[in-house]
Amino acid sequence: MNASRSLTLELGGILVTVAAALLCGSVVIMLTSSEPLVAIRAMFVDPLTSAFNIGTILNKAVPLILTGLALAVVFQTGVFSMGAEGQLYVGAFVGALVGVYGASLPPLLHFPLILLAAMAGAALYGAIPGILKAYLNADEVVTTLMLNFVAILTTSYLVNNPFKAEGVGGFARMEYIDKDVLLPKIIPGTNAHAGIFISLAAILVVYLLLYKTSIGYEIRLVGKNPQFAKYGGINTRKVVVLSVMISAALAGCAGIVETLGIQQTFKDNFSTGLGFDGIIIALLGRNHPAGVLAAALFYAYIQVGAQTMQFNSDMPREVAVIIQVLLVLFVTAQAIFAYLHQRMARRKAVM
Amino acid sequence: MVWETLWNQIVDLTLFAVLLRVMTPILLSALGGLISEIGGTINIGLEGLMLLAAFSSIAAGSAAGSWVVAVLTGVAVAMLVSAVMGFFSLKMNVDIIIAGFAVNLFGSGFTIFLMSKIYGLTGNYSPADAPRIPTVRIPLVEDVPVLGQLLSGHNLMVWIALLSVWFCIVLIYKTPYGVHLRAVGQAPQAAQSLGISVVRIKFTALLWSGAFAGLAGSFLSNGLTNMFVKDMTGGTGFLALAVVLLGNRNPVGVLIGSVVFGLASAIATIVQTIPGSPIPSQFIQLIPYVVTILALVFFALRQKRLAALKP
Repeated sequence: MNASRSLTLELGGILVTVAAALLCGSVVIMLTSSEPLVAIRAMFVDPLTSAFNIGTILNKAVPLILTGLALAVVFQTGVFSMGAEGQLYVGAFVGALVGVYGASLPPLLHFPLILLAAMAGAALYGAIPGILKAYLNADEVVTTLMLNFVAILTTSYLVNNPFKAEGVGGFARMEYIDKDVLLPKIIPGTNAHAGIFISLAAILVVYLLLYKTSIGYEIRLVGKNPQFAKYGGINTRKVVVLSVMISAALAGCAGIVETLGIQQTFKDNFSTGLGFDGIIIALLGRNHPAGVLAAALFYAYIQVGAQTMQFNSDMPREVAVIIQVLLVLFVTAQAIFAYLHQRMARRKAVM
Repeated sequence: MVWETLWNQIVDLTLFAVLLRVMTPILLSALGGLISEIGGTINIGLEGLMLLAAFSSIAAGSAAGSWVVAVLTGVAVAMLVSAVMGFFSLKMNVDIIIAGFAVNLFGSGFTIFLMSKIYGLTGNYSPADAPRIPTVRIPLVEDVPVLGQLLSGHNLMVWIALLSVWFCIVLIYKTPYGVHLRAVGQAPQAAQSLGISVVRIKFTALLWSGAFAGLAGSFLSNGLTNMFVKDMTGGTGFLALAVVLLGNRNPVGVLIGSVVFGLASAIATIVQTIPGSPIPSQFIQLIPYVVTILALVFFALRQKRLAALKP
């Protein structure tokens, strides 16, 4: 089977599984809502009918693209990192520190410095599980899950104590970051902010990195066949550590972009699992930057749809979770895709 | 002031009672994690299984007015979801980590969904007539100072959890099933060639995992508290995974690990309630996670040294 046919098959398979997941979600709505048509309309149509809602979809997609890319990079190396959530907190925290305490810098210097600090901080944090995996063969699933708690609790302590803004009650946060370095709104009548440009740029950069550079080649080779990569003279340990650090930098970028675009400063417990959503995005997008873009936009659409549904009907927004879970299971079910390939091959043989 | 309060609680054995209560869900879910881990499948879905069990048990229990119904429902639901997880991972070839991740997602979202659809509530569900897993009072012994506090007045589930440690030792080391389970975990190919059905063993291991997570979840909503709160597990399922590794993958190790983590949890709870505490509670909550990472490093270093010693 040639490459383009294989790609069509893969894409077709993903579309079918996505449709199946959406259908299951609709069935749940049909069965449990007293006004199912209103609810389904609110879920699937309303997000697209107003400029404001489309702006919200874009805003939701911004961090999802970045965390999706973050996980696509490590997954391509064959490392099962679950640490994007913690790395995102570290990035947002370090970036916000530079944002709050570097206010005297000229904005043109200040802004890149914030991004850089966030990404560097997160990358260093990501180096921990990377090194543990590469040199000690410590299971990355467990170390990254543990490090998530470490990051969230540590930043929570810091923002509740030394770095807490004055006069803030229950929900601890730092002082607000200066308006000059916050991401501006880009479409009138919506809340869409300029973070989308950063995310789109990141897609391009990650694409070039993975498919047009030697380190990208090494990353993919280590993921596909570590033994072969090793015999081919690739320092697989270095590649593993590097890919986890790149991934963490992207997660940190997601954290600071969300901070500068939406939150306006570091807030305690601000992320609603964006790092974990990235896992779903990467899986849906088959670890390819273009796939990540499509998956993030789709995922954001579902999330906004869930909100409009909760607002306009008797259904809670958690219905979206059912769709998400089915998406994850269907899209990663290799048996389904193997079956499709097999049938395709058989049909070809008959012809 | 903090030290004084803590010391008083150690002396009058309140800390001991709190420890037993707090460590019970950790221990039960860790034993669940242990069985699947020994069978070679890491179950990161414990968190979601516990949430589903916690919700379904209090819902069914308060409807039926019986704690037995509550616990049985919790266990049944968690086992059912484990079976679905097993179907996707073993039959549809979904990576077991992704399947577990999906279960966590599902457990958190679906319980909130049901709470909203059934009761019209968003944050927590605390029925006035919720049944409670009974407390075991031992006559005569309960009147003896110290001994009474040590042995009497604990929740039944605390005893079930402790007995489960013994049960797991028997199951894993003394039964044919345990032999198969360990064989599948250590050398699946060899086990297969000896005629052991790897898929069936892994599937039943996941069911055991679900059963223990179900007990843990039922205890959360019907013993430790008397309500369901959204995402009430708060990372217990992940702690359980850590306990399995920290306990060096055996039941007694898991018991010790649960005591350590339970203690950190219990002290954090006490410190949080003392005003003006000099130790931030976040740091005490951090201890288990940091200890786990250090333990992983330690095990890895030891293994490396052992490997280097081999000719």
